[in-house]
Amino acid sequence: MAQVLHRRGRVQLRLDIHEREALLHVLDELMPLVGQALHQAPRAYEDDQHQAEFDRWVRPDIEKGRDTDIEGMRESLASGEDTIVLTEPTAYSWLRAMNHLRLAAGASLGIDDDTWDTRMDAAQRDRSEFRMMTLLSWLQEEFVAALEA
Amino acid sequence: MAVDTPVAPEKVLEEQKSTHRDHGWNVVVWNDPVNLMSYVTLVLRKLFGHDHSTAHKLMLQVHEEGKAIVAMQPREQAEISVAHLHAFGLQATLARP
Repeated sequence: MAQVLHRRGRVQLRLDIHEREALLHVLDELMPLVGQALHQAPRAYEDDQHQAEFDRWVRPDIEKGRDTDIEGMRESLASGEDTIVLTEPTAYSWLRAMNHLRLAAGASLGIDDDTWDTRMDAAQRDRSEFRMMTLLSWLQEEFVAALEA
Repeated sequence: MAVDTPVAPEKVLEEQKSTHRDHGWNVVVWNDPVNLMSYVTLVLRKLFGHDHSTAHKLMLQVHEEGKAIVAMQPREQAEISVAHLHAFGLQATLARP
């Protein structure tokens, strides 16, 4: 079972080969959905002119950072190491990457309000996006707990 | 020796208003149904230096009331904060009070 520990300012992640392969599969499956979700980027301003400036000057860096976060996670997983040691900034990069993927899965599942967990039927829970989101939620919680420790 | 040029009162007033506006932009985080509560709390701690209790209360306010003002900053800083929040996948806006 995967384990996430925070030691001496670094986050240590232990994953066996099956867990690494499962996460790489999640990355491959959800990446196209992350691209689609980019079109639903949140606004920063109510004012359209300010928003246009934000989209022009700030948004590209946010999207570039999103790609960098996910690619960094993929490279670490693909290294083949059972134990992955992350600096704290890299651990936060993983957290962001997992969240981008969770948001993409959530958008694909049509999650649009806080009652989704009680409304979701068996067919939806059987969808691969739901299983992937569940896995990512668990791993993200482990990261949060390690960073809060 | 330089002599200070008198400044028109209306100009002083305008500068004071401008300074007030520049220091008064709210950073607002909005509720969304996917982000984990523990994650939102951690992000608020990381970005704004809140202690755990304050960040947790703000997260609950977002969850229960739909939004919360998490910081008040000069516009440029507020815009950077919103960009960081977006990078973490949170819904956030900046607005004058």
